[in-house]
Amino acid sequence: MGMFSESVDVLCSPEGQPVSLTWGGRSYDVCAEPMRWYERRQWWAEDSRAPLGSGPGIVDHEIWRVQVLPAPDGAAGSNATEEPLTLDLSRHIRSGRWRLLRIHDALRPRTA
Amino acid sequence: MSFTHLHVSTAFSAHYGVSWPDELAQAAAADGATALACTDRDGLYGTIKHLKACMAAGLDPIVGVDLAVLDDDGDHRTQVAGRVVVLARGHNNGAGYRALCRLISDAHARTTGKAGGAVPVALTRAELASRTLDPHTLKPVLTVLIGPDSDVGRAMGGRRYLRPRTLFKQWLDAMPGGTVVAEIVSQLSAPGSPLSTAHAVRMLRLAEEHHVPAILTNAVRYCAADGAPTADVLDSARTLKSLPELASEPLLQPTGQGWLKSADQMLLLGKEIIAAAGYGAADLKQLMTQTEALADLCRIDPASDMGWKQPVVPEAAVLGISQEPHQELVERCNAGIGRRFPGISGAAEKSMVSRLEHELGIIRNLGFSSYFLTVAEVSRMIQDMGVRAAARGSGASSLVNYLIDVSHVNPLQHDLIFERFLSQDRATLPDIDIDVESAERHNVYRRIFERFGSERVTLMSMQNGYRARGAVRDAGMALGMDDGEVGEIAKQLWRFSARKFREALQEKPELREFAGRVEQRDADGNQQLDLLVDLTERLDRLPRHISMHPCGVILGDATLLDRTPVQPSGLGLPMSQFDKHDMDPMGMLKLDVLGVRMQSAMAFAVREIIRIHPSKDEVVAAGRHSAGSDGSGPDYIADNGHIDLNAVPLDDEPTYELIRSTHTLGCFQIESPGQRELIGKMAPREFNDLIIDISLFRPGPMKSDMVRPFLEHRHGFAPEVYPHPDLKPVLAETHGVTVFHEQILRTFDVMTGCGLAKADEFRRALSSEEGEAGVEEYFRRKAKAKGYSADVVDKVWDTLKSFASFGFCKAHGAAFAVPTYQSAWLKTHHPEAFLAGLWEHDPGMYPKRLLVAEARRLGIPILPLDINLSKAEYRVERIQSGPDAGKLGIRLSLNGIYGLSTTELKRIIGGQPYESLADLRARSKISKPNIKRLAQLGAFDSLHREAGGTANRADLVHHLQKLQASGGSRKGVEVLEGQLSLPLGDVELRNITPELPAPTLVENVRAELDLMAVDVSTHLMDSHRPLLDRLGVTTADKLLGLRNGTEVLVAGVRVATQTPPMRGGRRVVFISIDDGTGCVDSVFFHEAQEKAGMLLFGTRLLLIRGTTRRTGPRGISLSASMAWDLSRTETLPFPDPAAREQDVPHPLDGISRSLAITGFNG
Repeated sequence: MGMFSESVDVLCSPEGQPVSLTWGGRSYDVCAEPMRWYERRQWWAEDSRAPLGSGPGIVDHEIWRVQVLPAPDGAAGSNATEEPLTLDLSRHIRSGRWRLLRIHDALRPRTA
Repeated sequence: MSFTHLHVSTAFSAHYGVSWPDELAQAAAADGATALACTDRDGLYGTIKHLKACMAAGLDPIVGVDLAVLDDDGDHRTQVAGRVVVLARGHNNGAGYRALCRLISDAHARTTGKAGGAVPVALTRAELASRTLDPHTLKPVLTVLIGPDSDVGRAMGGRRYLRPRTLFKQWLDAMPGGTVVAEIVSQLSAPGSPLSTAHAVRMLRLAEEHHVPAILTNAVRYCAADGAPTADVLDSARTLKSLPELASEPLLQPTGQGWLKSADQMLLLGKEIIAAAGYGAADLKQLMTQTEALADLCRIDPASDMGWKQPVVPEAAVLGISQEPHQELVERCNAGIGRRFPGISGAAEKSMVSRLEHELGIIRNLGFSSYFLTVAEVSRMIQDMGVRAAARGSGASSLVNYLIDVSHVNPLQHDLIFERFLSQDRATLPDIDIDVESAERHNVYRRIFERFGSERVTLMSMQNGYRARGAVRDAGMALGMDDGEVGEIAKQLWRFSARKFREALQEKPELREFAGRVEQRDADGNQQLDLLVDLTERLDRLPRHISMHPCGVILGDATLLDRTPVQPSGLGLPMSQFDKHDMDPMGMLKLDVLGVRMQSAMAFAVREIIRIHPSKDEVVAAGRHSAGSDGSGPDYIADNGHIDLNAVPLDDEPTYELIRSTHTLGCFQIESPGQRELIGKMAPREFNDLIIDISLFRPGPMKSDMVRPFLEHRHGFAPEVYPHPDLKPVLAETHGVTVFHEQILRTFDVMTGCGLAKADEFRRALSSEEGEAGVEEYFRRKAKAKGYSADVVDKVWDTLKSFASFGFCKAHGAAFAVPTYQSAWLKTHHPEAFLAGLWEHDPGMYPKRLLVAEARRLGIPILPLDINLSKAEYRVERIQSGPDAGKLGIRLSLNGIYGLSTTELKRIIGGQPYESLADLRARSKISKPNIKRLAQLGAFDSLHREAGGTANRADLVHHLQKLQASGGSRKGVEVLEGQLSLPLGDVELRNITPELPAPTLVENVRAELDLMAVDVSTHLMDSHRPLLDRLGVTTADKLLGLRNGTEVLVAGVRVATQTPPMRGGRRVVFISIDDGTGCVDSVFFHEAQEKAGMLLFGTRLLLIRGTTRRTGPRGISLSASMAWDLSRTETLPFPDPAAREQDVPHPLDGISRSLAITGFNG
């Protein structure tokens, strides 16, 4: 398992669930029901203000654990043979920005 | 679909909950809820506010508590296994609520009531089980929620399957059937961590397995997500750890999801948990239905379950009454007439009797006769104890109170209106406050408990909320900031609400430096100060803890402890968890027994007078009292010299002369700088003037400029103006200016014919905007109908509108004016005894040292500490020899010397007199450092002189220091036993070798300030005299001779700092300094504050430049333009720069006791 914090672009369903994402120039589709939870932020170190009425998202951020497969790029579908990647994404509630936090299944890749 | 939150902490869960009951209730109602629970931690602190909020929002209240449960297997008294929520079932005539109250009292029963006790607020499971069934019906009346913070929930972590099961099973075995439910909570934290969905699933399965109902809550700590950071800071304040520390443990809540989620959000949450458990739609429905079913069981009917608004007083039998209470009250009033109105007849009698009948009629209709009898009983009991007691407040408006000896103010004489106190339209129990000697207050409390029985009495509590200083300290701690740095910031925060911190940064000159640092953050990357401001604002007003209210005692019948939980107070007596706002809703009779130090000081003075002058003749001579009718002196002085202060006539001219001189330091209510200025302008001539003076000196009148027109009319500078001739009788005593509530009531009555009871309702209604509109409409319509012109109506309405909210109740003023007069009378006639009483009981606003300076100003000798002559209290003493022979002086007390313990003090007094130091050591066994301290203060000087020693105080101190260093830890005897019995005088003292120079006056004064916080040998400013001369400073005694508008420099030690609210809302700072010749009162307006900046609140010794403002024939004050710190000579404005070089030692150098010396902890 690797730990990162890298910006990613995520497309969500109307209910707010991630559907697909773009990371490192490649597109991926979410291929299984994602899991969602919240994790604490070190807000006292990361933020410079926390006035009353700031709203949600100071204390925690949203974490989504998604399984993704590379999006089929046009005609050739090598898709079926690939195993899904498990990623933890964080969504900063106030800015809506997504970052990639962790990549699981670190056993898998390396050959390509 | 609606959802009922069954686990909600309000802000009254100190250092835990974030939101106020009304915020929560409104949010719940807005979301369509029909009920809402309040389950504060450890008590019902927010419950009554919750009831009120629910009723206002149209919700059914649910009440409960969040309590710790002791570990059955651990140390039974201290080890907590977890926390559970306990809800009271409703609609059972209070059986549930009763059980809840008793349960909470049980949980507190073993605690000490002191902070940091080793025993936590907690119950054993057996205790909890025993309260869940109603003792009479044996039906369940409480429901226990086993949730994530219970021992079961806490055991969910890791992969332990057996442990939570075993623990859950233990609960089921211990609790009666039908009293336990499983509380399912997910705050959506990371899988497997506390408050995660995974844990919620395990709890749900456990419930399923054991066929226990499961309910869904969100363990709410704040109304909206925005409250989460505040909850973090509260966690830090509660655990005394910074946020970074807490985060690493990890002890903070895992997420910020604990808000009052909407019904939709709760349903989604339920879905998520059910789905994760692999259950289906039917299970979801069951979870939600069971939650609502429990909610329905627990809906409380405020009236039938909790006795909402139903007054309860002690049973007649307890009061010793065998007949119907009202009949008893009538008889006691009739009996009082002969005592209070001897020889009354004719029209006076008729009007008195009709007033009495009027009052009794209202009391009977309201059913309050027992209440009056109860108060009378307490009042009688206190007076039987020989303790000075007087009713204060609007209770003085009642003739009944006067006749049954609850109050000592004749309401007829002062035109006081009963309706201001109680009326048909006002069915709440009225307030009667009784002032007693402060030194006797706790004894009075204990007597009340004995008299009525501990099941009928409890002390009232009060909520202590965050104010700016505490908030900034705790916010700073949360951020892990340096203590010293936060302390420096906190020092500058002076009397404003924490909520306005950021605003204050812009405005307040003393915060300018800090504001600059906040803005700097971008430059040096320090974000903390900016966050500090935000977090401080978040903490504003949140309750921190409850404590014993300074005066409230709750009296009830034998069911009192079924209606309020109690916990130990610091005093050892039980204290209710309810505060003053909860009394009226809960129908509780609260008596305010206020400890008034001035009453103690006056009682002390009267005792000293007898001790020094043990006969009537001597007292009359010493006090220069009038010869009285038969030449033997006035009747209020008994043959043994005892003065009955309450009987002293209120027209003593020398007393009014003293008051007019403005030398009123030490006098009740009229000693503050502002009051001295006001009495200087007003020049009171009679008792009613004192009532008016006290009533005028209130924030409202001062702010709205009532004072100036009043004074102009009083002194005839401007003609009196009445809006209409009809109002002249109402307003004449205050020259046309509306001052008293009573005048507002009469104005309403005169112009609308509404009656006084209605008038008082109107007066109350005027304090709110909605109320005001209704009153205005009525007033205009009725006044017009009575023929008053539009012009008059407009004018009077303006007055009513602006003065009604803050005018002062004349009955209060009259009750206050009595001790004001009495204290001034004592100061006039027996200043030595009076000052001794003031030093002993310290009743005023100033540091004690200022009253010592006042004695010096009055030429009263201050007699030094003496090991044989000083006692445990200040004493008046006739001086035997020397230049002051024959005069009365005040001997310093051995009490209050830094380091000297109460036991040592007792032993010293018990062993007096002493022949020698050895004798003192042997019999009093005081510690060596304390012997040295006594020597530094000169307590052995006379012993030393008698011994014929030639050494000085410095040699003696040096000698004792040597002994202290060499002598090891042994206390007491250092000389051979045999020596004690020989009358040899003090060999030790005689043989000390003189070698050191005698201590300077400055050194002696420094020791006095350091050890007693009082400068005795000489005024602490005296050593500054040469410096002040070089600066060209004017002394206080010379100011009165200067013309108005003269620019002067004054200097002295700070004695008072005040920021009263002023007209126009701009802050004005009053600083008074004492320079040894008197007080200089200076006022800093906006510009001067800007210039003085941090000096305003940060310095003890001040040099102030300003111009004189004449405030009356005998009053003068200073309008300041600039201030300097006198101890920083390099900054002072010397006319001759060369003069600044000479630096002299000063008594305050190196002394840190600022509060005791300057009355200000800046």
